[in-house]
Parts: sequence; structure tokens; C-alpha cells
Amino acid sequence: MTTMTGKLSAAPEHLTRRPNVLRQMWTSRADYLYVLPAIVVMLVVIAYPIYYTIDLSFFKTPPGLQLRDKIFVGVDNYGAILSSEVFWKVTLNTVIWTIASTMIAFVLGFGAALALHRDFAGRAILRAILIIPWVISAVAASYIWKWIYHSDFGVLGAVLVQFGFLDRQPNFIDNVNSVLPSLIVVNIWREFPFAMIMLMAGLQTVPDQLLRAAKVDGASAWQRFWHVTFPHLRGVSTVTILLLAVANFNSFIIPWIMTGGGPSNASHIWITHIYELAFGRQRWGVAAAYSVLLFIILMVLGYFYVRALSGNESKEHGA
Amino acid sequence: MTVTADTVTPRSRKRIDGWRWAGRIFLLIMVLYTALPMAWMLLTSIKSGFAATQFPPQWWPAEPTLASYQKLLDPQNSVGQDFLRFFWNSLFVSVVTTILAVAVAVPAAYAFSRFRFPGRKFLFFSVLLRNMFPAVIFLVPLFILMRWLGLVNTHGSLILTYLTFGLPLAIWLLKGFYDNIPIQLEQAARIDGATRFQAFLLIVTPLSVPGIIATAIYSFIGAWNEYIYAATFLTKNEQLTLPVGIQRFFSENTTDFPGLMAASFLMSVPVVVLFLVLQKYFVRALTEGAVKH
Repeated sequence: MTTMTGKLSAAPEHLTRRPNVLRQMWTSRADYLYVLPAIVVMLVVIAYPIYYTIDLSFFKTPPGLQLRDKIFVGVDNYGAILSSEVFWKVTLNTVIWTIASTMIAFVLGFGAALALHRDFAGRAILRAILIIPWVISAVAASYIWKWIYHSDFGVLGAVLVQFGFLDRQPNFIDNVNSVLPSLIVVNIWREFPFAMIMLMAGLQTVPDQLLRAAKVDGASAWQRFWHVTFPHLRGVSTVTILLLAVANFNSFIIPWIMTGGGPSNASHIWITHIYELAFGRQRWGVAAAYSVLLFIILMVLGYFYVRALSGNESKEHGA
Repeated sequence: MTVTADTVTPRSRKRIDGWRWAGRIFLLIMVLYTALPMAWMLLTSIKSGFAATQFPPQWWPAEPTLASYQKLLDPQNSVGQDFLRFFWNSLFVSVVTTILAVAVAVPAAYAFSRFRFPGRKFLFFSVLLRNMFPAVIFLVPLFILMRWLGLVNTHGSLILTYLTFGLPLAIWLLKGFYDNIPIQLEQAARIDGATRFQAFLLIVTPLSVPGIIATAIYSFIGAWNEYIYAATFLTKNEQLTLPVGIQRFFSENTTDFPGLMAASFLMSVPVVVLFLVLQKYFVRALTEGAVKH
């Protein structure tokens, strides 16, 4: 009981701040016990890998050698990456993949959330159907779509041929030009439900009185959306877009299972490329250097992520 | 915005209908986009291998057959044995991960929501940041770590790893839940002589059951669908989980499309059913946790 800090009443933070951090840490030592399990797991599984990756990125690991026989090469790995053509190709793919997937998934999810907001018969069923792609495994989704895109028996090509849009089965994913858009379609298929759920949740927080008041004042449907609904959704939208962007930037399964990055790197994104360098070609040092570059990019994204989330935090505690 | 009421009222009525129709058409397109691939998976899975590879395709199976499902679910047959074992492995790993994730996330989220200890914000965001790093970065070091812990080729390696990437969102969701439980309830319990831990366990925890269910679904689905760690940490065939097992199996039998679709379907059933039954908790947790700030 003596370790009770009486903070249950949520003392204003600025009063409890500076003076004597150590003493305060001691008096609230019981609090740490609650967080300890989470922190320990995180430290073991996050801090160590990050340290290891940074360390490894300065070494060369010739194939056939054991990892412990690595050779120190300084920043050569970084130089090799930045001067390689594949790097720029893969970076461009990653940018296209991330931005296109995120924006389209967000817009489709937003539209679906708005369309489902009003109650009508069968709404629950429609909502359930729309969410299913997000729940099923990406491996299953990849196989389903690989089969749909199949160059001989794919149903999508067959439909296009039957309706006379094309005269023969197209090659969706064995073609340098169409592979990336085709994979983005699959990715959006899996991801727009997430945006939809988030925004449906957000829409419930838009106060009904405001909308009714606007209606009484003669605002049109569009005006009500633009001036009442949309501003309320700004916070949710930021968080959703950031979460989607991070997830897309980190995606692996869909390109890996469907194409393995091919043909001729046309569908390689950063993560699949790193995986192939490490596990396919055993170039662990280069792969580690790639990972460090990835950290840096993610930290920049992470800055915005934390800012968006802590914006919400401070509002919540300020209110 | 200064539109006079009389010019707008009649027109706005029509417009609403226009928007509503646009919404309906949009929904119809989205439902087709979502459902047709899944329907095609089901239709293919009840065809024979011959029927699946015809051009133009049989839109509706001429001779529907459950042969693929029988093969996958038959414990006598080697394919069925493998499939059922993968299924069991996935189930085991996912259930244990879920139980541990809830056990770790509940106290952490409670502490982040209620206590004001130094470093609280820093710890909270470092937990969230974990979400940002892709699995590939952690593969090699974690593999080495697992070897050091003697966990390579055990399900323990997967459970430990899944815990860490399921935790951040779990903690975040639950924290939002606790934020919305009035603190006065605990204060009342404290005045009546309960310790802080008793107040947490007996007053707050029962109220947060919906949040805990949401967290559990999230962990379960994440673990059930995970591919990359399972593909790296496990090499023995009898330990593989479903996503990896199916991939290995069908990279050897590349033309058995009905079998592949049947396996994809069976792999999706548990998570889809679980989600559909419990989805209201999940949506509610997102509303309370992620959105209402």
C-alpha cells in the first residue's frame, strides 16, 4: 500500500514532472511491474535484432562461409547498394506500390464506410462480406488471385476474351508492364476492409445533432459531409492512412508468393528484395545494410506516426 | 455557404437520392470485387482437375465433386495426414499465442491507461513503434536468438515471435478501452478497502471483457495467418503451420488447382467464422480504442 502513488486520480502531468525523477521512479516502482512483461519481451525481440542488423551491415559475408567468419568492409555495402541499378528500380516499385495501394484502399474503404453508414436491410451481411478478404490469410489470397490471373486457365482473362475485350488470354503477372498493377489490385482487395472498419468506427463519433442542425439550416448532403462529417474524421483518417502506408511498405507475402519479385524485378519491392538477397543469395551484409536504410525511412514515417497518435493522446488528456 | 433555405430545400431532397443511388452502385461494385474471387475459389474447389483446366472455363462445375476436400481431410491418405497435422499445428500455435498475448497486454494496457510513471509515454510509443518494422529485418537475428534459446524447429519460437508483433496493437486497443472505464469505479472500490490490484482484477477487468475479446481475435488471426517467420524457423515437415505447409505442398504439385483452392478455403474457415461471430466486439474496440479520442 505504501507504494501507492495516489496517481489513480490522474494528477496533472506538469505538477509531477521534473523534480526528482529518481524518487518518483522509486515511489511508482509498482507501476512498472504491470508493464514489465511487455517491455522484457520487446527488448529481447526488438532491441537485440536492431543492434545485430546495424553491426552486420558493415561486414561482408562471402557465400559458403559461416556467419561468424564475416569480414569487416566499412560502408562498402552501402556504396554497393546506392550505386546498383536494381536498387533504384526496386525503390520506384516500392513507392508506386505503397502510394497506390494506400490511397486506393483508403478511398474505397471510405466510400464503403459511407455507403454502409445508413441502416438498411441486409447491411450487416454486406458488411460481413466486405470484411472477409481482410481476415483470410494473405497466402490464401495470393493463391486465389494467382489462379484468377493464370495465363492459361485464369478466369479473369477468360472473361475478357469472352466479352471480346481481348482476342487471347492475357498474361497478367508474367508481364513486366502489368505485374505491379495486378498485384496492387490483390493488395487493395485485402486492405480496403481495414480502412472501411476504421472509418465506420469514426463515422459513429460524428454527432448526430450537428448533422441534423446542419440539415435544418439547409445544408445539402455534400455540404453536410464536407463541413460536418469530414472534419470529424480527420484524426481517424490520418491514423488509418499511416497504418496502411506502413503495412504496404512492409508487405511481403503477396509479391513473394505470387511472383517472387519477377519477371526481371518488375514486382520486387524492398522487403522481397531484402529477403532474396539474404536467404536466396546469402548476401547477409548487403541485406543488413538495406535493412538499416529501411530503418531510417521507417523512422521518418514513424515520426509522423507518433505525432499523429500523440496528437490524439494530448487532446484526450487535455479535455 | 450562405445559401438561402428556400432554394436549397427542394433540390437537396433530390440530391440525397442521387447520393444514395451512387452509394448503392458503389456498394454493389465493391461486393462483386470482394465476393467474386472467393466464389471462384469455391467453384474451383468442387471441380475435378480436368474440369478446372478447360478453356473457356466451366463457369459452373458440370460435375461437382468433393474429392479435393475428401483428400485433404482423410487421415488415411498422406496428403490428408499432412494437411490435418498442419491444421493442428496452426491451431496450437495460434491458441497459445492468443492466451499469452492477452495475459501480457492486459496489465500493460491498464498501466498505460491509469498510471503516470516516468517514461510512460516513451515506453508506450516504443511499443507502438514495433508495429512499424517489417518481419524481414528481424528474421536473421531472431533466428540466431532462437538457436541460442534452443527454440529452432519448435513452436515456441513462433509463439514468442508472434507475441511481440501482436502486442503493440493489442495494448493500444485495450488502453483505449480502459481509458473509457470511469476511474471513479476503482476509487469507490479503493475506499471500500480493495487494494489497487483487487480493483483492477475485480472491477475493471470484467468491464473490459469486450476489449479482451477483440484483442484475442486480433492475436489469433495474426498468428493463424503468419507466414514469413514460420517459413524461416521451421524446417521439419511435421511442424509446419498451414500457410507454409500449403505453400511447400503446392510448389511440388503445381497443377492441382482444385486441391489448392480447397486448401485455401479450409484454411480460411476458422478465422472467418471466428471473426464473423465476434466482429461486433472488434468493431467496438476499434471505436473505443483507436478512434474516440
